[in-house]
Amino acid sequence: MGKKTHAVFRFGSAILVAVATMIAGFVSGNWSMVALAVTAAVLLGILAQLRYSLGTIPPPHEAAPRDGSTLPRVEAARPAKANSGNRDGNQEDLVRRMLDQGRYALLLRPQIATGLRGDQLQTATSALDIAMGIVPAGDVLLQPWRGDHTEDETHGRRERIVHVEAVYLDRFPVTNAQFQHFVDDGGYAQMSLWEPNIWPAVLDFVDRAGHPGPGFWADGQFAEGMADHPVVGVSWYECAAYARWAGKRLPSDPEWVKAGCWPVLTQGTRPIQRRFPWGDTMDRELARLWSHTARGTIDVRSLSGGVSVGGVYHLIGNVWEWTTSSFGVWDATARRLETLTPMKSIRGGAFDTYFDTQATCQFQSGENPVNRKHNIGFRCALALCDVIATELADNASLEPEGAVIGHSGLAEEVVS
Amino acid sequence: MSAKGVLQLDSFRLAQYSVQVPCFICGNGNSFDSELCRHCQAPMALAHQANIQKVPPQLVAALGSAGAGKTVYLGMLTDMLSQSGGELQLLARGAFSVSLQQMTISALADCEFPDKTPNEPDRWNWIHCQVRSEKKRHPIELIIPDLSGEAILEEIDHPHTYPVIRAFLSKCSGVMILVDAIRLKEGEKDQNFFAMKMISYLCELDDDPKRGWPTRPVGVVYTKADQCEPCFNDAAEFARKHSPGLWQHSQRFSRCRYFAAGVAGACAMQMELGGRRLVPLRVEPRGVIEPFQWLVGELEK
Repeated sequence: MGKKTHAVFRFGSAILVAVATMIAGFVSGNWSMVALAVTAAVLLGILAQLRYSLGTIPPPHEAAPRDGSTLPRVEAARPAKANSGNRDGNQEDLVRRMLDQGRYALLLRPQIATGLRGDQLQTATSALDIAMGIVPAGDVLLQPWRGDHTEDETHGRRERIVHVEAVYLDRFPVTNAQFQHFVDDGGYAQMSLWEPNIWPAVLDFVDRAGHPGPGFWADGQFAEGMADHPVVGVSWYECAAYARWAGKRLPSDPEWVKAGCWPVLTQGTRPIQRRFPWGDTMDRELARLWSHTARGTIDVRSLSGGVSVGGVYHLIGNVWEWTTSSFGVWDATARRLETLTPMKSIRGGAFDTYFDTQATCQFQSGENPVNRKHNIGFRCALALCDVIATELADNASLEPEGAVIGHSGLAEEVVS
Repeated sequence: MSAKGVLQLDSFRLAQYSVQVPCFICGNGNSFDSELCRHCQAPMALAHQANIQKVPPQLVAALGSAGAGKTVYLGMLTDMLSQSGGELQLLARGAFSVSLQQMTISALADCEFPDKTPNEPDRWNWIHCQVRSEKKRHPIELIIPDLSGEAILEEIDHPHTYPVIRAFLSKCSGVMILVDAIRLKEGEKDQNFFAMKMISYLCELDDDPKRGWPTRPVGVVYTKADQCEPCFNDAAEFARKHSPGLWQHSQRFSRCRYFAAGVAGACAMQMELGGRRLVPLRVEPRGVIEPFQWLVGELEK
């Protein structure tokens, strides 16, 4: 039964009750009862229409999952065409715009995905599969900040094994073109995206011309020919705001290391890990690091030979990447480092990283989260539990075009 | 029975001892087998190397206060230029010329800064190298010492305390004055005063209008600029704003240019038993080659 049918049915029921009350009042000669019944009928009708318009009328089958699962289910095909109208047109535009902006992760949130048609969900899922790789759940060995190059008697005790839940990780660092969507969408003015403690500093996050945007842009635009280069000149807070806007988050240190090291657990307790995403030996042709001949960032889709097992590019080189973790927080050493300001952890090395030993998956550096450096960018992560189960989304693709998966107030969710 | 033996005749050594070998820095005589000049403590290997070169080496100095980053700058510079592919190529002459590079790079690779250069001249590292440029047909020979900042200051305040510094700067073809950009940015005046003293000292050494210091190339390098982005944007403007004294004094040189350089991307203090120690959190050289490249270009004019 469609939404409109429900509304009509409810409206009709209200009218019937009101008419019956009117007849009863008319027969009994109670004119005040007649007037009351007419008013009630009109009010009920208006209310029913309003609720339908706001999309807060859940169809009866949505009241509870049939199998008790917490994940949203793909519903049987329904005559979506019959529901087409202004509202669906707006939703269509909104979904298309979000997909164009690369905000597929938001669309795949369980609360929102239930309001999408099957084809929309399929498109969003495909976008996720193309743009993000999976880092499976498991243990990862984190070494001290100087990485495995550090050698001392306590080395063994300074390592730490951390369990990581499965997570999606962007295959590429966030590019200038991607960040442009955030800037154009007024990301710097949407204060809900920013941590309250950084609000005073947001006004200072401007480009060379004083417009909101990364530090090395001008007039709110990136330089020509740099669309597919990683965005740099962004503070940790700008990266976190972008990630929030895109429905994602920054990866934690263990998640980032696990994506690169790709630990394998054998019978022992210590995972076998790679030094670099491609293996244990540095090959400068697989990563963008310091050299005489080339300077600056490169296209994020280049150097495909340096891809990790999970299909993630440029984990080593090109730009350092912000993570959510604080610098040194995983270092169990007693010889703690003191910094003038609290630092956030950055990983992976950049185009100007000089030493191979400082461009390994384990090497960690730190930076003031407010600094906007020329060689620090980021990539986003997304917990598996934060999106609709992929197999369900895949099932949706089998549904006829126009199938609707549940219904929810998409627009309201996105704005909030 | 007879046994053959070889009796070394050392009389030729007497002849060698009778001929004084002049130190390349101060010019005073030393015996042929001296390791260091007995007058100024400069390594005699410089003189021996210079004697076998067709082209006499030119002298270039990196000056700056203690902690300005002279050792890190020179060590990083030599390592970067030693790698193939660049516009400038550096070839070390003699094993002693590699020591500074080795010490600096080993420390930085382990995320540590090299030890402070001692004040004693006999413990300084010297570099004698050949520098090739893609744009120039003939290479040039350079001698660059890693001078102690405290020794430089002592010599400036009390001339003739360190004859090697005075002798070296008198013969020097050009200098790079290293100034700590972070300390300047934080409002410390010492860096400014040191640079002003340095310039005054140089001009006193030789103020000949045609061949003296006013006409020799002087590069002012703001070090640790990785922590001071405005410095990278416009080093001359940074100098004018943050070190007006240095800016004013530098007008005495007809060939002077400002640069910004950085080696460590970020630093932290490491707690140790002996106290706190500054450590680099990563190494990403920036603006290191440019001042040297400019200086070499000026030397060739």
